[in-house]
Amino acid sequence: MSQSAEAEPLFRKVLVANRGEIAVRVMRTLRAMNILSVAICHRVERDAVHARFADEAYEIKGETPVAAHLDADAIIAVARDCGADAIHPGYGFLSENATFARKVVAAGMTFIGPDADTIDLMGDKISARNFAAKHDVPVAPSVQAQDDMSGFVRAASEIGFPLLIKAAAGGGGKGMSVVRDASELSERARIASSEAQRYFGDGRIYAETYVDRPRHIEVQVLGDGKGGAIHLFERECSIQRRFQKIVEEAPSAPLPEATRAAICDAAVRLAAAARYKNAGTVEFILGRDGRFFFLEMNTRLQVEHPVTEMICDVDLVRAQIEIAAGGGLPLIQREVRANGHAIECRICAEDPDAGFLPATGPIRLLRAPTGEHIRFENALEQGQRVTADFDPMLAKLVVWGRDRAEATDRMVAALKQLTILGLRTNIDYLIRLLEAAAFRDGALHTGFIAEHADILAPATVDERLRDRILIAAALGQRAFREAITVVGEPHASMAGWRN
Amino acid sequence: MPLHLTLNGEKHSIEILRRKPYLVLKVDGRTHEIPDWSAESIGEMAVDGSATGIARAFVDEGGRETCFVRIDGRTHEVVLIDPREEGAGHDATRDEIHAPMPGAIVSVHKQAGEQVVRGETVITIESMKLQTALAAPRDGRLLDVLKRAGEGFDRDELLARLEPADEV
Amino acid sequence: MRKIQSMISTTGADFRRNEARNRELVAQFRAKQEHARHVRPKRDLERLSSQGKMRPRERIEKLLDPGTPFLELSSLAANMAYDGEAPSASSIVGIGIVSGREAIIRADDPSVKGGAWYPLSVKKIVRALDIAIENRLPVVHLCDSAGGFLPLQSELFPDRHMAGRIFRNQSILSKMGVKQLSLVFGHCTAGGAYIPALSDYSVIVRGTGAVFLGGPPLVKAATGEESTVEELGGADMHTSVSGTCDYPAANEDEAILIGREIVAQWDRPQKWPIQRETPEPPAYDPQELYGILPDDIKKQFDMREIIARIVDGSRFHEYQPNYGSTLICGFANIWGFKVGILANNGVLFNDSSLKGGHFIELCDQNNTPLVFLQNITGYMIGRDYERRGITKDGAKMIMAQSCARVPKFTVMCNGSFGAGNYGMCGRAFDARLLLAWPNHQIGVMGGDQAANTLAEVKANQMRRAGEPVDQATLAHVRAETLAAYQEQISVYYSTSELWDDGVIDPVDTRNALGMAISASLNAPLGEKGYGVFRF
Repeated sequence: MSQSAEAEPLFRKVLVANRGEIAVRVMRTLRAMNILSVAICHRVERDAVHARFADEAYEIKGETPVAAHLDADAIIAVARDCGADAIHPGYGFLSENATFARKVVAAGMTFIGPDADTIDLMGDKISARNFAAKHDVPVAPSVQAQDDMSGFVRAASEIGFPLLIKAAAGGGGKGMSVVRDASELSERARIASSEAQRYFGDGRIYAETYVDRPRHIEVQVLGDGKGGAIHLFERECSIQRRFQKIVEEAPSAPLPEATRAAICDAAVRLAAAARYKNAGTVEFILGRDGRFFFLEMNTRLQVEHPVTEMICDVDLVRAQIEIAAGGGLPLIQREVRANGHAIECRICAEDPDAGFLPATGPIRLLRAPTGEHIRFENALEQGQRVTADFDPMLAKLVVWGRDRAEATDRMVAALKQLTILGLRTNIDYLIRLLEAAAFRDGALHTGFIAEHADILAPATVDERLRDRILIAAALGQRAFREAITVVGEPHASMAGWRN
Repeated sequence: MPLHLTLNGEKHSIEILRRKPYLVLKVDGRTHEIPDWSAESIGEMAVDGSATGIARAFVDEGGRETCFVRIDGRTHEVVLIDPREEGAGHDATRDEIHAPMPGAIVSVHKQAGEQVVRGETVITIESMKLQTALAAPRDGRLLDVLKRAGEGFDRDELLARLEPADEV
Repeated sequence: MRKIQSMISTTGADFRRNEARNRELVAQFRAKQEHARHVRPKRDLERLSSQGKMRPRERIEKLLDPGTPFLELSSLAANMAYDGEAPSASSIVGIGIVSGREAIIRADDPSVKGGAWYPLSVKKIVRALDIAIENRLPVVHLCDSAGGFLPLQSELFPDRHMAGRIFRNQSILSKMGVKQLSLVFGHCTAGGAYIPALSDYSVIVRGTGAVFLGGPPLVKAATGEESTVEELGGADMHTSVSGTCDYPAANEDEAILIGREIVAQWDRPQKWPIQRETPEPPAYDPQELYGILPDDIKKQFDMREIIARIVDGSRFHEYQPNYGSTLICGFANIWGFKVGILANNGVLFNDSSLKGGHFIELCDQNNTPLVFLQNITGYMIGRDYERRGITKDGAKMIMAQSCARVPKFTVMCNGSFGAGNYGMCGRAFDARLLLAWPNHQIGVMGGDQAANTLAEVKANQMRRAGEPVDQATLAHVRAETLAAYQEQISVYYSTSELWDDGVIDPVDTRNALGMAISASLNAPLGEKGYGVFRF
């Protein structure tokens, strides 16, 4: 299992093909495992925290910063040239790119993740669905769009409305659309297809049963690549905006034990059948009637993996490295124990009061929350400028509590402590969200944010608070402070005396 | 003159009434005693006998100074209004670009009808072997550019005009 | 220093009577002040607002740092002149704080005859600049004046301390390195044009501000040239063509903002070190001054009771308490500043004169400013006193007082008659500031004494002519003299003529002195030295 300090490291040097908090988080484990870390960065992020945190950092050229992080060949060349023996892709960017995984292996290095074929299998939503269905993992009834639009409309109508249209190659809500009536199906399908083409270079779409007010439940799995697989319980990620998660927790909010067991079993069944290697996540939607359907499998480390780490007391990155190094599963199912409750909030540069539009600006003041059972996963520093070059997620705040209520309280306290000033963020919104009675009651579903929009709106500022805010702002201004201090005695004490 | 600020789209004013033995400020006609305050970005501030922890940071961009104030786990944005900007009213010189010295146009970067932001180069001129970039005096749309590349001009000659700003 | 133990009963009949009387006097003073400050013909006010102009006091309020004091000087200047046509002599003067710096603020009042300068306006402006010179106080001129009031030109133009003195003083200030700023809100015509021209900095408001030696009508008359105000002296012309003014401003608010920024970048003055303690209000309520000042000028009162209601903590270290007891001398703090106080407790005798002279030298030696609290009927007269040299003893006090180089401040508390005025630092002796209370009277002698003296002279004439002494004639002489005196010895006459720097409410004395002392520290102390004392 874990390496003793004297033992030979599993890898000598690992390149982390990512940036931001996840790059730093992976490197931290690398360092603990006595493995050298290599960062890559675009010109604009040469001074970024992840590049400085690594033992070595190399610049990748790119038209845009994102393009640099997507340049598989250039990244592999850097890895080879610097003598790395493995690449960890983090999440996003190239993490689910089978071609990249293949090229890494072809270049004689280890890809810390599943085999390229598994990525291919799970990366295509349709093949993944079919595979799941074949292995007794429940899938929502669906139909794939054909060139013959009328045939698609007919088949889709047979499933019954409402329907959800999705991109076969998609994710992140791109190309997704709810259709409630047959009359709008073909037009919506056409739009979804062209959007999918634009985002993913693949216009294939499909329609499936739309589950109303569903919960998003996902299961963390580890596979050994030989058919052995375990789960590390589920996570609930039902709090979403713009089809993206912002609050995740483990275990899920109240869930019947039988349902939990059934979902976890289904996930392990799928991973085992796929001879899944490394860490992965099987996502489900759970209807109000208790039915759950396979959504997709993410063949990588999830953004929200820390909540699982906190309740199971494991280091998932370490597990990934150990599996990739050929060490097999680091623990058996029986050894996996969940304790307490963990919640993660994604701290984003965005304006919740204006449709969660991404925000940019400088970080002029940064204060991280401190305390026991609090993880602030970030690569931020005061003075940094948040641009539109990358995803608006700034950091993750993760807390643990003995139960959900304690975890929620701790999260609220930590969010109140967390201070990021200089641009708009969702911190205050998250506080309101976690303080909402409906959240505390665990009445979660993916439409939670829309449903509770009124109570999640900011409270009006009363006169007393307003004056304090204005006074604080005025006293923060150098010119105003000088107007106070520039006047000496006796005039300062005479105030506005007139004779 | 009082300091003017806006919060949530509403304009407010703050005036100093007294400095010693403790600070007294008037906010929109309401008087507040502030026996203790700090210039630090994170600190305590006592107002009318009760202390509040505050954090604040300034962003001075795009021609406006914004103070982000965090009180009791909630962040507020206050825009501090520059009294000069406020007091200046309409100033015709801010609509026009004049030649600071005699010379010739090197290049025209923006054409009539184009949107410009304050500080954006509209024309580059050359005079006494020195090139000078002439910038838009404010945000707005160019009404016209009166010279073409290569043309000469005298000191103070009008080179370009902005469309009149909407009355605020 | 020990706290003065007041002997006043604040519940007694005398106190009540005095208080009623003095509150009445202060109310009269406030009413006059209110009138001078704010009552103007509607037509003039409408003209100002139609030009988009603020009233001069609004300009001053915006110029001053918010939440800071303003000591207005001579608010009732010219109140008994020109049939009351020129309230405050159409010019506002005071000491205020601009961008943290003490400054003389001097504003023309365009709501009075277009800001025209009357003879007393000129006297007031010259005095304001004298104060600036003596204390090295920067000056901010708020210019908006049509120029000299032509019907009275002979009283304001030709003499040594008339209009030219304004510009001479401006030049001297500049030579001393004392900054001047002009904010040109309206016209600066003829001589007035030199005010911005002789200032180190000037701001001019576009549209309403103009600076020229001759306005369009004068130019037309002189040379036939047709011209506009803008062409002759507008903001754009002066700030971009002639260079006569430095900064154009879009409006009055902006002119004031620019002015405040200009002052903000002036060097901070290096004040000379004075002994300073933490300020502390008097232990006795200054409001009690109203009950202490008598309802009749002939009634004696103890000046220690006055001191106790002006100085910090009412603490006073009395010097030579048993000698020359008609002149109280001692040390105290006002707004923390250590001062030496001389206060009259009766007529000046030989010993009180010697004590005063000695105490002044002591303060001068120790860099302690002097505060004179006048209530004086003069030096003692009579054969014995003359034989004992009352005149040469008085001369010693005058010599010491005249030559002392520490700042001096005089408060006219009740009466100032005869040579006592000289010894106690009257107007001629360059007190940095001389202020008077509403009950105060001043003259070479009291009205009764003058009437009796002149009646006695008349009687002697009649005796010498061998005529019978006609009591009716004497009564007539007495009545005439008294009537003339009544008007001239009043504090309102004195302040109208600028024989002082203003009438103040007694309870304002502490603040006024605090500001005056603070201002005086801007000017370095001169060389020590005296003339020949006659021993």
